[in-house]
Amino acid sequence: MSEIIDGRPASIGSAWRSNLGRMVRRLFGAIAVFWAVASFTFCIQALLPGDRAELMLNVAAGTFTQPTAAELAKVNAKYGFDAPVAVQYLRYLAGLARGDLGESYQAHRPVLSIIIEQVPPTIELTLSALALAWIIAILLTVPTAGRSGPFSRAVASFQVAAAVSPPYWIGTILLVVFALKLRWLPVESGTGPIGLVLPALALAIPLSGFIGQIIREEFSRVLDQPFVTSARMRGMSDLGVRLFHVLRHAVLPGVTLSGWALGALFSGAAVIETVFARPGLGGLLVTATSARDVPLVTGIIVASAGMYIIANQLVDLAYPIIDPRLKAT
Amino acid sequence: MKSFVYVSESSIGVWTRRMRVAAGLGMAVAAGLCGTIAPAQAAEDDKRGGIIRYGHYQEPGCLYAGWVQAGYIQRQYADNLVARTHDGRIVPWLATDWTISEDNLTYVFKIKPGVTFHDGTVLDAKAIVTNFDRWLSNDPDKVNRNGKLYVGEYIRSVSAPEPLTLKIELSRPYQPFLTVLSTYFFGILSPTALELGPQALCEKPVGSGPFYVEAWNRGQNVILKRNPNYNSAPATAKHQGPAYVDGIVWKFLKDNTVRYGSLANGESDAIYDVPAVDWAEAQKRFTLIQDITGGTPTRLQLNTARPPFDDVRVRRAFAEVSERGKAVDVAFHGSIPFNGNGALSISTPEHLKELANSYPYDPDAANRLLDEAGWTERTRDGIRTKNGKRLTVRLLYAGGSLISNDGIVVLQILQDQARAVGFDVVLKPIPQADWFAGKGRGIDDYEAQPAYWVASSAEILKISWRPDQDGVINANNASRFQPPELWKLVEQADRTFDDKVRLPLYEAAQRIIVDNAAVVGLFPLTVSIASQPKLKDVWISSPVSEPVFHDAYFEK
Repeated sequence: MSEIIDGRPASIGSAWRSNLGRMVRRLFGAIAVFWAVASFTFCIQALLPGDRAELMLNVAAGTFTQPTAAELAKVNAKYGFDAPVAVQYLRYLAGLARGDLGESYQAHRPVLSIIIEQVPPTIELTLSALALAWIIAILLTVPTAGRSGPFSRAVASFQVAAAVSPPYWIGTILLVVFALKLRWLPVESGTGPIGLVLPALALAIPLSGFIGQIIREEFSRVLDQPFVTSARMRGMSDLGVRLFHVLRHAVLPGVTLSGWALGALFSGAAVIETVFARPGLGGLLVTATSARDVPLVTGIIVASAGMYIIANQLVDLAYPIIDPRLKAT
Repeated sequence: MKSFVYVSESSIGVWTRRMRVAAGLGMAVAAGLCGTIAPAQAAEDDKRGGIIRYGHYQEPGCLYAGWVQAGYIQRQYADNLVARTHDGRIVPWLATDWTISEDNLTYVFKIKPGVTFHDGTVLDAKAIVTNFDRWLSNDPDKVNRNGKLYVGEYIRSVSAPEPLTLKIELSRPYQPFLTVLSTYFFGILSPTALELGPQALCEKPVGSGPFYVEAWNRGQNVILKRNPNYNSAPATAKHQGPAYVDGIVWKFLKDNTVRYGSLANGESDAIYDVPAVDWAEAQKRFTLIQDITGGTPTRLQLNTARPPFDDVRVRRAFAEVSERGKAVDVAFHGSIPFNGNGALSISTPEHLKELANSYPYDPDAANRLLDEAGWTERTRDGIRTKNGKRLTVRLLYAGGSLISNDGIVVLQILQDQARAVGFDVVLKPIPQADWFAGKGRGIDDYEAQPAYWVASSAEILKISWRPDQDGVINANNASRFQPPELWKLVEQADRTFDDKVRLPLYEAAQRIIVDNAAVVGLFPLTVSIASQPKLKDVWISSPVSEPVFHDAYFEK
């Protein structure tokens, strides 16, 4: 994602004087991505088969009746579906520019207010999952990277397996083991911190596999660097070398990945929130999609894209902190 | 499993039209007396308190809508004009008694005095008129499409000649009228609250029911609080007066493992829809009640408008290719009965039992019928052909809430068995939203479609079998089966009030539907609720199986 916005991340911050230009470029890049997402979502929704007015009437009544032409005309007029698609699109963009995402077909309520209400639990979930993924990845990788014993190999294989496991499957297994059989944690996650553990783990385990694999490779490479040898010669313990010298270098590709990971976590949250009965954007998206509540679906996707863009900007800003070389002019 | 005992039933006996008035009055008096007796009062106090944590399945987009998922909640916060018992009798609710004119066109209801909505608005005949006006309106924001579909064509006027007298005049007699009015989508809402606009109506609808909507935490739950002034329970209730519990946390637990797990771990006091795999265990550990919903069962509607199902022999053959009863038993682990007569659900009072086994599993007979119909050639993979055309059945279904995963297993078994006699059944799932938008419902889009329609009794036949009229296609008649004699029978039955005449008419209609194999019956829609043993008296209401918590209490 960061590639789309401003080229290769490694080129960032070569000089402070170019900061302003960079910010402007980033802003334009962000707006372009935002516009592309919004347009794409609009097209998908507008081009889906079936008549929107008929759908709305049937969803509201829960029936499959064939509405009369007069009934359809009233709905079409009310929501502006009778205008050409291009006009609908412009109206939609104009609304977006004003921060108006429209009104939910089903709830008859401004989409923005519905979304704002559901953002905090999703952010809570995705950030805890990201943090957990890092903790698991580091705990498993630091002691085992660059070694070839059976334990290290087992950990590496576990990370591969975790990386390809769908969160839904892991979530169900965690649920059955820790909530239903052992009863250590609640089945329904609700809104409390204890309830956050299982859904966050379900999202974190696959991601920890990804991050772990990536930092493992970098870790092995850095272990052979001269400064590592010199640190060892100063009498530093192996763990100390790994933690204080090597890790810092090895996490960089992982940080890049985290920007992408936030996007993946958002989409994973859609399933996990439904499974664990948590409030949040993901669950809302599932419900809105099944009722094809167009303004709500579009709003959620656009809002998620917005958060994704912000997250990637933050990741870019984090580079110079981890690697001070990037600050140098 | 329909083991509900109504206190009221014994005192009412069998209702005839003339007896309704007197019995309604007597019951109200009896209920009033009971409330003042001291020991009864003490027993009532023992039942007070607690909050029911109820794990439901699906979250509606709006708390007031035609959809049954909203209807379940509506049953908690709103009251109807009349109620219906499980065996089809109409008993008082907001209307304490009523009279029907000799020509069956004028209904005069006496409305219970002293009832107020949760917002303090008085519930009188005028308030009910306002509700009717909205239901029948042409404004898409107000209309109740579901209700209009049933009664719109019959109602000539609704008026309030006196504050507590409601008069409804019909243009034609309609026997199921009161039955229909007992359905959740005719729940009466506060006219004051109705004026607040669609958003308020969706989020905080205001009725007069035993609970009121306190908050809707989207994606999580609806908080319902006890209405301390409740005085309008239906005659089907086990007690009059306010609910015993302080409220309900109506949670949305869509995942089966989570929902059942939440009950098993004690995080819920009751749950909706026990998953089939947990059925046997739930029977041992919890109080398990099940209600078979009326109307039409899930049945395959065979498209009679195009080949191959335009030939009745092919339709009959298709009905005989599969052990449908066994398939239902296997797929649902015995938790749901087989509904062989596809015309009506087995719990519908008018359901004709003898049609249940019209098409037993008989591959030889099916083979003979197909040979007779000219489907004699076979391709190398064993599929029959006629004039080079394969005997293909595109079976379209909407997944999700319309046909469950267990239901799909039934279809897969059918697909497999039909192959043995040479049918090529193609299962085509369609997303629910596309289905509602009309996709796959064009006449040439399918050969068979499974669907059900929740209702209480044979009034559903009108919805299913109304012929196309003036270019308006009846989308519910996916069989496209519309012989004039069928519609004549249904129309005649709908306006006949004498059961001795009415029932045979409905039976004849069912015979036409089943003998022509316009539909192939599979299984009825059922609603099950499992509750912790200490939670007593949760029951499921007629007409469309809504859970009722007004009488529920925690054993101390």
